Amino acid sequence: MDKRDAFRHNVLTSGHRACSGCGEAMAARMVTDLIGPDAIYINATGCLQVFTTHNQQTAWQAPWIHSVFANAAAVAAGVEAAMRARGKEMPVVVQAGDGGTFDIGLQCLSGMIERGHDVLFVCYDNEAYMNTGVQRSSSTPHGVRTTTSPPGRLSQGKHHLKKDVISIIAAHHLPYAATATIAYFPDLKAKVEKALGIKGPRFLHVLSPCPLGWAHDSALSVTVSRLAVETGLFPLLELEHGDLTGVMRLAEQKPVQEYLRLQGRFKHLFNTKQGMEEVRHLQALADAHIRHYGLLEADTEWDTRRAMHSARHGRGGYAQVTVSAPREVKNGG
Amino acid sequence: MRKLLEGSHAVAEAVRLCRPQVVAAYPITPQTHIIERLAQQVADGELAAEFISAESEFGAASLVLGAVAAGAQAFTATASQGLLLMTEVLYNIAGMRLPVVMVCANRALGAPINIFCDHQDSMALRDAGWIQIYVESNQEAVDSLIQAYRLAETCELPVMICMDGFLLTHTFEPVTLPTQSAVDEYLPAFRFSRTLDPARPMTLGGGSEADNYQEYRVAQQEAMENAETVIEAFDAEFSEQFGRSYGGLLQGYRLDGAQTVLLGLGSLMGTVRDVVDTLRDEGEAVGALRLRCFRPFPAQSLVQSLSTAQRIIVLEKAFSVGAGGMVAAEVRAALQQAGIMTPVESVIGGLGGRDLTADVIQAIFQGTTTEPFRVGRFAPDPVEEGGVGHG
Amino acid sequence: MAAKLAFEPGSSTAYHTGDWRSQRPFYHDKWPPCGQTCPASEDIQAWLALASDHQWEAAWHKLVARNPFPATMGRVCYHPCESACNRKHLDSAVNIHAMERHLGDMALAHGWAHQPLTPGRQTQRVAVVGAGPAGLSCAFQLARRGYPVTIFDAATEAGGTLRSGIPDYRLPKSVLAREIGAILALGITLKLNTRIGEAICAETLREEFDAVFLAIGAQRPRLYPGDSSQHSVMSGIDFLHRINQGERPALPKQVAVIGGGNTAIDVARCARRLGAEVTVVCAQNPHGTQLGQPGAEIPSSQQEIRQAEAEGIRIRYRTGVRRLVRSGQHLSGLEVARVDQVHDRHGNFDPKLFEGTEEFLPAGLAIFAIGQEVDWSGLESLTQAPGVVLGGDAAGEHRFAVTAVGSGYQGAMSIIAFLTGIPPLREHHEKAEITFKALNLDYYPKQARRGSETAQQRIDGFDELVTGLADNDAEEEADRCLSCGVCFKCDNCWHFCPDAAVIKKADGYEIDYDYCKGCGICAQECPCGHIDMERLTA
Repeated sequence: MDKRDAFRHNVLTSGHRACSGCGEAMAARMVTDLIGPDAIYINATGCLQVFTTHNQQTAWQAPWIHSVFANAAAVAAGVEAAMRARGKEMPVVVQAGDGGTFDIGLQCLSGMIERGHDVLFVCYDNEAYMNTGVQRSSSTPHGVRTTTSPPGRLSQGKHHLKKDVISIIAAHHLPYAATATIAYFPDLKAKVEKALGIKGPRFLHVLSPCPLGWAHDSALSVTVSRLAVETGLFPLLELEHGDLTGVMRLAEQKPVQEYLRLQGRFKHLFNTKQGMEEVRHLQALADAHIRHYGLLEADTEWDTRRAMHSARHGRGGYAQVTVSAPREVKNGG
Repeated sequence: MRKLLEGSHAVAEAVRLCRPQVVAAYPITPQTHIIERLAQQVADGELAAEFISAESEFGAASLVLGAVAAGAQAFTATASQGLLLMTEVLYNIAGMRLPVVMVCANRALGAPINIFCDHQDSMALRDAGWIQIYVESNQEAVDSLIQAYRLAETCELPVMICMDGFLLTHTFEPVTLPTQSAVDEYLPAFRFSRTLDPARPMTLGGGSEADNYQEYRVAQQEAMENAETVIEAFDAEFSEQFGRSYGGLLQGYRLDGAQTVLLGLGSLMGTVRDVVDTLRDEGEAVGALRLRCFRPFPAQSLVQSLSTAQRIIVLEKAFSVGAGGMVAAEVRAALQQAGIMTPVESVIGGLGGRDLTADVIQAIFQGTTTEPFRVGRFAPDPVEEGGVGHG
Repeated sequence: MAAKLAFEPGSSTAYHTGDWRSQRPFYHDKWPPCGQTCPASEDIQAWLALASDHQWEAAWHKLVARNPFPATMGRVCYHPCESACNRKHLDSAVNIHAMERHLGDMALAHGWAHQPLTPGRQTQRVAVVGAGPAGLSCAFQLARRGYPVTIFDAATEAGGTLRSGIPDYRLPKSVLAREIGAILALGITLKLNTRIGEAICAETLREEFDAVFLAIGAQRPRLYPGDSSQHSVMSGIDFLHRINQGERPALPKQVAVIGGGNTAIDVARCARRLGAEVTVVCAQNPHGTQLGQPGAEIPSSQQEIRQAEAEGIRIRYRTGVRRLVRSGQHLSGLEVARVDQVHDRHGNFDPKLFEGTEEFLPAGLAIFAIGQEVDWSGLESLTQAPGVVLGGDAAGEHRFAVTAVGSGYQGAMSIIAFLTGIPPLREHHEKAEITFKALNLDYYPKQARRGSETAQQRIDGFDELVTGLADNDAEEEADRCLSCGVCFKCDNCWHFCPDAAVIKKADGYEIDYDYCKGCGICAQECPCGHIDMERLTA
C-alpha cells in the first residue's frame, strides 16, 4: 500500500501508465478518493483499466475488478447482489469510458438501472475510443476527427451527433443522474457525495479530456473541460427520478470557437467553408443546450465563476487518512 | 426423499439445497423451467437468494461473475444461443479462476434456429477453461450439481453441468433429493480466496503481458489436470455419503471382454446400454463407455478403459464443421499418444433433437453407414416402423 | 513470471513514470508586485494572508518586521503598492493602504507590543542621529536584534518630518506618538534637543559608539532663486512646521503654492483650512497623462490631489514661476508661464518656460515647496567615516516617509554587517516578479474593493479626514489579495495532478518526481503563478 499522502487515500495512486495530462486519470483519482477505499470498484475495459493495471502491477488501493468491456454494470450488479445477500453495505462503483457506457456497455447499464441495483455508475467520457487509438464512439461530437471518422474530400469528420446519453439514462427514472467535469472540483465533489447518500442506481457522467485524442496541450486538460461547460456544449446537470433538478448556471456564455480552437480534433473545420458550417452547427447545439436547460438564467447556488473560486487553504477535499509509515519522498530539487 | 420430478425442477431443487446467494439468468428454451422454479422458490421464501432477471445471458454470466468475486455462491443456467452470448464472459470467469457453477440445458445452435437437444452449444465452449460434466439422468444432474459447488471451490475452476435439453430438462423421472442437512454437511460454507473486500484490497482481472500470460494458461491446465483426481475422489466420497456413483470421469458398461466399444455423452447412453444388452444377448462382444467429464479430458482413464477394445465408435451430438467430431478426434489422439492404434470410428448424430433410437444405435454398432465424410459419418435416421432409413 | 491472479494494491508505484518527463514543475515563490514596489519592502502579501486568516496580531507582527509605523504609513504613505497591485487589472487594487492602517490601529487599540527577535543582548552600541522615520526604523531593527541604541535628535519631540511636515488632518499627532512609543519600548534611548555637531561633536559620537546611523533628513528648504526678499515668501516645510506646532497664522486672501510634491499639496490644504484661496503651481503633468506627452506626472499622490481639488484648491499644471511681482516689498502675485520641458536631457529638474505664455497669478503669499536639501554642517567628518551609514532623506532622492523606513531597515542591516563582519543575507529581492499574465484569473471572482476612496471633505479644521476600515470590511478586503506568486494552499495542484505526484503536507505541497510526468496542469491551473515549468534536456 502506498501511503505517501496524509490527506488522501490515493485509491488510484501513482505509477499508472496514463498519458501525461490524462483527464480520465484525474477524474478517476478525484472520484475514487471522494468515495474512498471502503468500496468495491468494477472497471470496464478501456484506458482506465489498461493504464492502471499494467502487467501485474496495479495502481488501485481498493478492491477492484475488471472483467470485459461490455459487462461492468452487470458485474457490479452481481457484486451488489452478493453484498446484499451477505449483509454487507458499501458503495459499489462502476467506472467505464464512453465506449463502455454509450455503446457496448449500454445494455448492461440499462439492465442494472432498471433492476434498481444499488450501484454508482461513473462514466469518464473522453468522447472516443482512445485506448485503441482514437476511433469514434457514439459519444464523439460531430465534426470531430478520429481515425474512423477522418475528414477528407467528402467528409468533415464524424457525421453523427453525440449521443444524448444522460437523457437515455434519465429516462429510466433512476434516483440520481448528473453530469460533471474535472474543472469544477467542488461541483464534482458535491455530486459524488450526493450520489453516495442515495440508495439505488446512480449515474455520474464526467467529461474527461484526452490530450492524445483531442490533440490539446497536456497542460490544458482542465482548461478545456472548463470551456466545454462554459460554451454550453457540455451542460452540468442533475436529474432526479428523470426530472431536471439542478444545473450549473453559466456566469457567461463563451463562444464554442474558444473551446474548439484549443483542440486539434476540430482543427480541420477551420480550413473549409463546409467545416465552418460545422462550427456554426456546434454553436447552434451549444445554444440549444443553453436554452433547453436554462443555463443562463437558472436560479442556482452555483455558477461557473463561483464554482471556480479558489480559496485559501483549499476548498475542502478528501477525508484525512492516518499515515502509518510515510514513504520517503524524493524531491529532486 | 424420492420424488417424481421434471428434470428442470429436480435441478432447481438441487440448486436450492446448495444455498446459492445469487441466482441470475436470462430465459431461453429449454433452460426456462429451471429458473422459473428458482424464481418461485425465492418468491416463496424457500430459497434465500437474490434472484436477478438479467437483461441477457451476457449479463447473467457477468452477474454471477461479480457475485462470486464478491464472495457469494451463485448459480446460472442457459442453453444454445444464450451460452454463446455468454462466451466472452465464460472465458473471463475461467481466466480469473472464479468458482462459478452453471447448468447448460444442451440445445442446437442456429441458424436455422432449433430449440432441441444436441451438444453443439457446450462443445463450442470446450476451450473456455470450464469443467464440463455431461450427465445422463436427472438424478445425476442433481448429484453432479451438488458436487459441482465443491469441485469449483476446491479447484478454483468454473463448472458447467451439461444436461440434455428436453430429453432431461423436460422429462419426469423419479429423483432422490438429499436432505438439506446432508447437503449442508457435504458442502461447507462458500469461501473464495480472492473475494473483493476492503479489508484485503486486491486487483482482479488486471493486465498481463507476453512475459507472464502463458503462465496463467499453464496454471489453468495444471488445475484442470488436478481436477481429474478431485472429480474421482469426490465421486467416491459422494457415493459413500449418498450411495450413488457415476464413475467420476468415465462410466463403463459391460466393458469386460468387449471388442467393440461405443463411447458417447449424456442421456443417449441409457439407450446405448439397452442396445449393448441386446447385442450381448446375441453374442456380440460389445460394451459402452460414457464420457462423463469432457473437460478436463480424461485421456489416461480413457486409454485404460479402451486398451483392449478392437473397435471404437464415438457417437457425438456435435462436430466441428469442416473437420469432424471433436470427441472422436480427442479419443484418437489419446490412444495414439498411448501407442494404441485402434481405429476410432466417428459418428455424428442426434443433431437438433433428432432421435437416436435403439435401432439407430444398433445400426451404428453394426456399421450401417450413411454418407461418410472425411473423418466420420452421420448416424442413420430413425425410421417410423422398423428398419433404418435415410433422412 | 508467475501467474498472479490478484495484484498487490499500489504495486504500480514500483514503476517510476517520472522517467517520461520532458519538463518539470517546481514550486517557486515569486515576489508579488506590491511587496516589490514597497519602498519599505514590506511582505504585503504575507501580512494580508495572515489577516485573511483573521490572525490579526500575527499579521501586524509580519508587517512591522519591515515597517514599525503601520498606523502612520496607513495614513500618509503614497502606497505605490496599490498602483502595482495585479488586482487592478481584474477589478480594482486591493486597499492595502487601508489594511495597513487597520492593522496599525488595531495594534494601538489592543496595545500589541513589538517582540525582540533574539533574547540575547549585544554589547556593541549604535548611535542613530535623527528621530525621523529612517532613524526610528533603523533603531527599531537594531533594538529587536539586541543592540543597545541611542537616538539623538535636535527637535523637542521625536518623529522628524512625520511630526513637523504632515498636517493633523492626515496624521493625528497622537497616532504617531503612540507608534514611536511602541518602538522606544524595545529599550531604545532617546536624547532630544541634542544636535550632533553642536551639543556633541561628531568625532566624540563616532568614538563613543561602535556604529552610527546618520538620518538627519533634508531640513534646509530650497528657496526660489530669483528673489532675495523674504517678504511674503516662505518655504513649505517651515509653513507646515508652524502649523504642526499649533500655530494658525492669518493668511492673505490669495496664496500661491509652488511645487508638485506631497509637501506642496499639504501646504495648499493647510492654507485652505486657514481660509485662503489657494492655487498650486506645478511644473508637471496631471496624473494619467497620455503617453507621448513630454514630462513627468505630478509626484504627489493622486488621492491627495483629488482631495485637494475637492477642497477647492486649484492646480495649475505644466506651469512655472518666471518672477515674483512686487509692489515695493508687497507681493502682488506671480508671473507664471507654460513650462516646456520639466527635466533636462540628463534627467535633472530644469523647467523651461515658453515666452509669450506669461500670465499674472495674484497672491499675497508665495509658499515654495520645491524641495529640501541636507544640512551637513558639523557632520562633515562623519559622512565618510567607517561604521557610519547614511539613511533617510539625507541619503536619497526619493524623499517619502516609507522610503525612509526602508532605508532605516537597510541601514540597520549594513550596520550589523559592519559590526559582525558577516554580509547580510540576500532576501526576496532576488525573486522574480510576477505579472498579471502569469495568474489564472478563472479562479478569482470579481469582488468590490472595500473602504471609502473619498473622505468627507471638510476644510473647517485640522481633524482627521479619512476613516479606517470596519472590521468586516477589513476581513473581506484581505480576502481580495490574489496572493500573486505565493502559494495560498488552494489545493489545485494537488486535486488536479492526474498522477498523484503532488503530495499534500501539513504546511504545503511536495512534488514526487518519481511519478510526475510533467504534463504542466499544476502550473496551468495554479491561480497565483506559484508553479513554474522547467524544460529538461535529454
